[in-house]
Amino acid sequence: MRDPSERRVGRRTFFRITGAAGAAGVAAGCSPQAATERLVPWIVPPEDVVPGQPLYYRTACRECSAGCGVTARTREGRATKLEGNPEDPIGRGALCARGQAAIQGLYHPERFRGPLRRGPGGALAPLSWDEAEDALAQSVAAAGAKGPGRVRLLTRLEPGATGAVQRAFMKAAGARPRDRVVLEPFDPAPLRIAARALLGADGLPVFDLAEARSIVAFGADFLETWRSPVEGARQLAAGRGRLGEDRTRVTWVGPRLSLTGVSADRWVRCRSGGEGAVALGLLRVLLDPARSVAVAAEVAPLSPRVARLDPRDLADRAGVPWEEIERLALELGRRRPSALLGPGAQSQGAGAVQLAAVATILDVALGNVGRTVFHGRDQREDVPSSADEVGALLAAAAAGEVDVLLVHHADPVGTLPASFHAREALAKVPLVVSFALRPDPTTALGHLVLPDNHALESFDDVAVRAGVVNLVQPVMTPLADTRQAAQVLAEVGTRLPTPAAFPSTDPFDLLLARAADHARAALGTAPADLATVHRDALQRGGHWSAPPPSRPPRLDAHAAEPFLALPAPAGGMPSELDLVVFPTALRGDGRGADLPWLREVPDTLSSVSWSPWLEVSPATAKRLGVATGELVAVSTPAGRAEVPAYVFPGIRDDAVGLPIGPEALALLPAESAPTFRWSGVRATVARTGGRTRLPVLEGSPYQHGRELVPVVSAAAPSPHRPDLSAKMYPEPTHPQHRWAMAIDLDRCTGCQACMVACHAENNVPVMGAQAATEGRYMGWIRVERYLGEAPGADLDVRLLPMLCQQCTNAPCEPVCPVYATYHTPEGLNAQIYNRCVGTRYCSNNCPYKVRTFNWRDAQFERPLDMQLNPDVTVRSRGVMEKCTFCIQRIRHGENEARDEGRPVRDGEIVPACAQTCPAQAIVFGDAKDPDSRVSRLARDGRAFRALEETNAQPAITYLAGVRQRGET
Amino acid sequence: MTTSTGEAFRSIEETVRATHGRPGPAYWIGLAIAGSVAAFGAWSYSLIVRTGLHWTGLERPGMWGNLITDFVFWVGIAHSGTLISAILFLFRARFRTAVYRIAEMMTVFAVLTAGLYPILHLGRPWFAHWLFPYPNQRGLWPNFRSPLIWDVFAVSTYLIVSTVFLLVGVAPDAAALRARATGWRRRLYGVLAFGWKGTDEQWRHYTRAYLFFAAFATPLVVSVHSVVSWDFAVSILPGWHSTLFPPYFVAGAILSGVAMVITILIPVRRAFRLETLIELRHIDMLARLVILTGLIVTYSYATEILLALQGPAGDPERSTFLYRMTGPYAFVFWTMVACNCVGPALLLWNRVRRSTPLLMGICIAVNVGMWLERFNIVVSSLSHDRLPFDWRIYVPTWVEWAMTVGAFGWFFTLFMIGMKILPPVSIAELKEEAAHASHEGAAHAG
Repeated sequence: MRDPSERRVGRRTFFRITGAAGAAGVAAGCSPQAATERLVPWIVPPEDVVPGQPLYYRTACRECSAGCGVTARTREGRATKLEGNPEDPIGRGALCARGQAAIQGLYHPERFRGPLRRGPGGALAPLSWDEAEDALAQSVAAAGAKGPGRVRLLTRLEPGATGAVQRAFMKAAGARPRDRVVLEPFDPAPLRIAARALLGADGLPVFDLAEARSIVAFGADFLETWRSPVEGARQLAAGRGRLGEDRTRVTWVGPRLSLTGVSADRWVRCRSGGEGAVALGLLRVLLDPARSVAVAAEVAPLSPRVARLDPRDLADRAGVPWEEIERLALELGRRRPSALLGPGAQSQGAGAVQLAAVATILDVALGNVGRTVFHGRDQREDVPSSADEVGALLAAAAAGEVDVLLVHHADPVGTLPASFHAREALAKVPLVVSFALRPDPTTALGHLVLPDNHALESFDDVAVRAGVVNLVQPVMTPLADTRQAAQVLAEVGTRLPTPAAFPSTDPFDLLLARAADHARAALGTAPADLATVHRDALQRGGHWSAPPPSRPPRLDAHAAEPFLALPAPAGGMPSELDLVVFPTALRGDGRGADLPWLREVPDTLSSVSWSPWLEVSPATAKRLGVATGELVAVSTPAGRAEVPAYVFPGIRDDAVGLPIGPEALALLPAESAPTFRWSGVRATVARTGGRTRLPVLEGSPYQHGRELVPVVSAAAPSPHRPDLSAKMYPEPTHPQHRWAMAIDLDRCTGCQACMVACHAENNVPVMGAQAATEGRYMGWIRVERYLGEAPGADLDVRLLPMLCQQCTNAPCEPVCPVYATYHTPEGLNAQIYNRCVGTRYCSNNCPYKVRTFNWRDAQFERPLDMQLNPDVTVRSRGVMEKCTFCIQRIRHGENEARDEGRPVRDGEIVPACAQTCPAQAIVFGDAKDPDSRVSRLARDGRAFRALEETNAQPAITYLAGVRQRGET
Repeated sequence: MTTSTGEAFRSIEETVRATHGRPGPAYWIGLAIAGSVAAFGAWSYSLIVRTGLHWTGLERPGMWGNLITDFVFWVGIAHSGTLISAILFLFRARFRTAVYRIAEMMTVFAVLTAGLYPILHLGRPWFAHWLFPYPNQRGLWPNFRSPLIWDVFAVSTYLIVSTVFLLVGVAPDAAALRARATGWRRRLYGVLAFGWKGTDEQWRHYTRAYLFFAAFATPLVVSVHSVVSWDFAVSILPGWHSTLFPPYFVAGAILSGVAMVITILIPVRRAFRLETLIELRHIDMLARLVILTGLIVTYSYATEILLALQGPAGDPERSTFLYRMTGPYAFVFWTMVACNCVGPALLLWNRVRRSTPLLMGICIAVNVGMWLERFNIVVSSLSHDRLPFDWRIYVPTWVEWAMTVGAFGWFFTLFMIGMKILPPVSIAELKEEAAHASHEGAAHAG
């Protein structure tokens, strides 16, 4: 074994070698502020490290299995913000809310500061890494000696070096391959099963939604959590950007209108579990010889079988009129190619495999395979285990058959339905080893806690799909005495009786050892100079190549037959309601739900933060006698939960919706099935009489006839705009620049990535649940969500991202008595915090209400304060604040341009919200330049301005969303 | 000078001097209550100073609430003093003589109360001086376009002018009181007398000066509350943005001010045994003023609402007025209408007007109503602005209520102390009236 200090030097040497990539464009060492055991000032400072200049590192996101590339901005040796990697083929520079919040995992105040062992008193006590690794090695050796199955590993999906180390370690520990269980509860496993059974294809299909002219999402929230949401949003925006007949049309099928459904052109309001019947209905229409829709020959053999299905039965099972299914099917027949997505968590019930199979058949029938749907491109490194395998592991643990359970970034206690009884099972295991970064319900049962480095402190690689390997590299030295789990396993593995053969125990070397394979896959040949290729890849962020051509799979019509049976009718008592459990874009599967930004930012659809909520339709609410904020009791055979109600017209009257979280997990059954079951559960819902103040941001969700968020259609291609030509007073002039923004509401999906980006960039504080209840959310950008014209009117959800409009005739400016807000020559409404005395008149006079007031001093609990952007002031109490169009980025861009003696280029300056928008809905630029993108968009026919009649002359132009309702 | 006139003069002086006698337990109890209410308000405010305005119920979109309501209310109260002492003086309305001193005292103390509240509601009150134009190292003037700066000027001007007007009126009385005062009182009245000797030349200058002061203060009655109304009218918020506001606010201010004068006079003339000087007919005249201004206010309400309801459906202004009448603040609106429109109208009946308890009750109701009117304007407009997504209901917290009630404590503390120091009626002018009366009597007799 090598001396630890040598290893540390090795890593730092690496920093010097690889250095930085990205906009700073410099390769340099950094000044890791945690490595201060020997604090020696620079006598000759490194040439490329300029204090005050950001340094960018490319790495990859590990928050979900999408594996987007990340550009981490560091300042003086610490990471301050995560952005997408513009070169990465998955995210293309965008990063979702969860990905950006990962940095709060790095700086989480509760992070373990070193290895811990549970003492005899039950408390966790620190010990040294050597002791910890010795203890683990001994226990694993002793357990391994008893035979296979005594050592088990429960991990998240690790399609990379870590996964390889895990497998090698388990082999050395004498475990069988199946003793390593991959817990990924939201993996669309039914789709895997269907693809395997019908097409003989391994892995999940990969979608190219940009090509699709029609998308039908059967409960698959592809803009929020399903598969690769950032990519999904970008691809949809591309498809939506096509004009006329080629414009992508989206249909959302499900009992509840999700955020993805809000972006859809049509909502097929089927009952929970009825998605399969809708899909079968589509197949029934498409294969109906009378309709003479051209379908792929492979599905022709299924025609007689499908024809036997009675449309009335299908419509009954689906809970929607047959005509609706018919219309959708005919549209799919006309608008090709299409993509049929599903199931997602909201439709993953008993019939999920059938739904996946019928969707797959539809894709084949409509000729989508090879055009929008690609099989054989999924990564092969690691496969999520089935629910059965997870259940078997827990059963073995409960039966006392497991001596050592290694838990790697999986939280079976906190993320599995309570009826899996993971807590009880883990309690029976003599040694539970957790690699978690911070306490979670599983570490509460752990005996040995070996905290892993955060992904931003680690070396790893993520095989996302064929041709895409994103590399994870440290962007700063570890904050605490943590050690990368792969290194720990490798070091422990070398101490086992039959030592595992690792190329090295250093994570960098482990990664380098795999680099040859990646490089060969990317380049086609073995590279001559691997170190250079690898360094370039680290600077770029990954190894990327065109996916290898794969033979289009053929449908096995015989295997398809069993999936064409009429689904069983809805069971349960009529008094019960369908429980729709859904993941959200912010909280995902619940693993990152304790990150402050993700709790603070209100959910787009409900505007609730810091609390779970139960969506009930107005009719159901009336029947139950509950209103928003009143506690209702939800009971299923598996359990009971009390949740505040939220009255939401976007859910069927026979269903209630509950976001993933401890409350939902308490209600779900654990059935013996290959896939996890999130839907198809019936619940009894009753009011308890209790009441809470639910932290909702919205006041009224209705437009009240004010035409706040217009939409355009082929019939009315432009919104109505008032005539503002009459001028009474001279208006401010902008001699050089007039910064402006355009927001395309047709692209905006309400994913909230912009809101989190703003928190990160502008040091917008997290004020907590109490402040949220009091309506004191501090965000500078919010997504206003209107449900329709008035209560009871047609549901017509429209989103309006609202931020400071930087008005030319800003109403806030004249009323400030102390010039704390004033108009800059570049058109910004500057807010001078030092001058502000806090009269708050500016907010009263702001028609957009985009100013926030510091009611109290914000708290940035250590070490979360290390994330603060040093370019932006942290505001004290008593002052107003608001969006600045990221003035620090504008100044940076202007200074760069001036240093280089050139004008600012269009698109060079990008505010944080625009930078991270997956759909690229936000465009920033100079309105003085008639050729800039923002100027051209402002002249678009869809352009309108918010509350234009007040003549504030905002700098933000909105482009109205396009509605195709009723058109085919 | 006849003997009867001398008697009358002596009785006036004695009555006034009697109010300055050693206070009884009732006075101390009253002062203790007022003082502790003020102290509790101050302590509540210290919470805000310590940790911030999160103690209030304010939230976006409603950034102003009780404290601004208090400000407008107390500025309004301050108006009747100058109206009674200056405008009625110019109109030669004799009934003012008996009541104007108390009204003026009320004015000064009300301005002292009102001026506090814009400062108390600031996010950073320790920088309140930045609103004054003074040469500073920041090289920055205040923003003269902001109505809040106009407010600073209006209120400080009003404070200065009303204080000067009060002191000018007090000077001859202080000289009269100095004659028989001892100790600190003697020194105080010596200062307040400004060297008054009562010579003919002094009287000539004095009456001329008083006339000029009255002429100077008169426009302030109209301007100060017009400026206060611009705090709202200049904004673009539906429910605030209205050209009707200046006259409407002035009428409302006078209504509340006169009602407050009556509310104070009725108990004061009993407690301080001033029944002979402040007669019921004086109060009756004030009650008629309440009727007049009440009618103007009622007309303003009607105009504002009817104009707003002309708007098309979906018009934010129309929506705001419907919200006031039917929304969660409807009880505020209808209580306000009952207090400010129905109450003064009842005074049209002589029997109601001349019944002291009824008059007192109606005047208190008018004051409640006028506070609610300002609350209604400030709060309901803000909580129902242009973007419905942001609508939110503001409910004051106990801290804000403590500060609101504390304002009354502070005001009455000042007032009760003032009653023991300053002559509550104008001795000089009452003597003048008595002299006139005796001359007229003599003329008739002669």
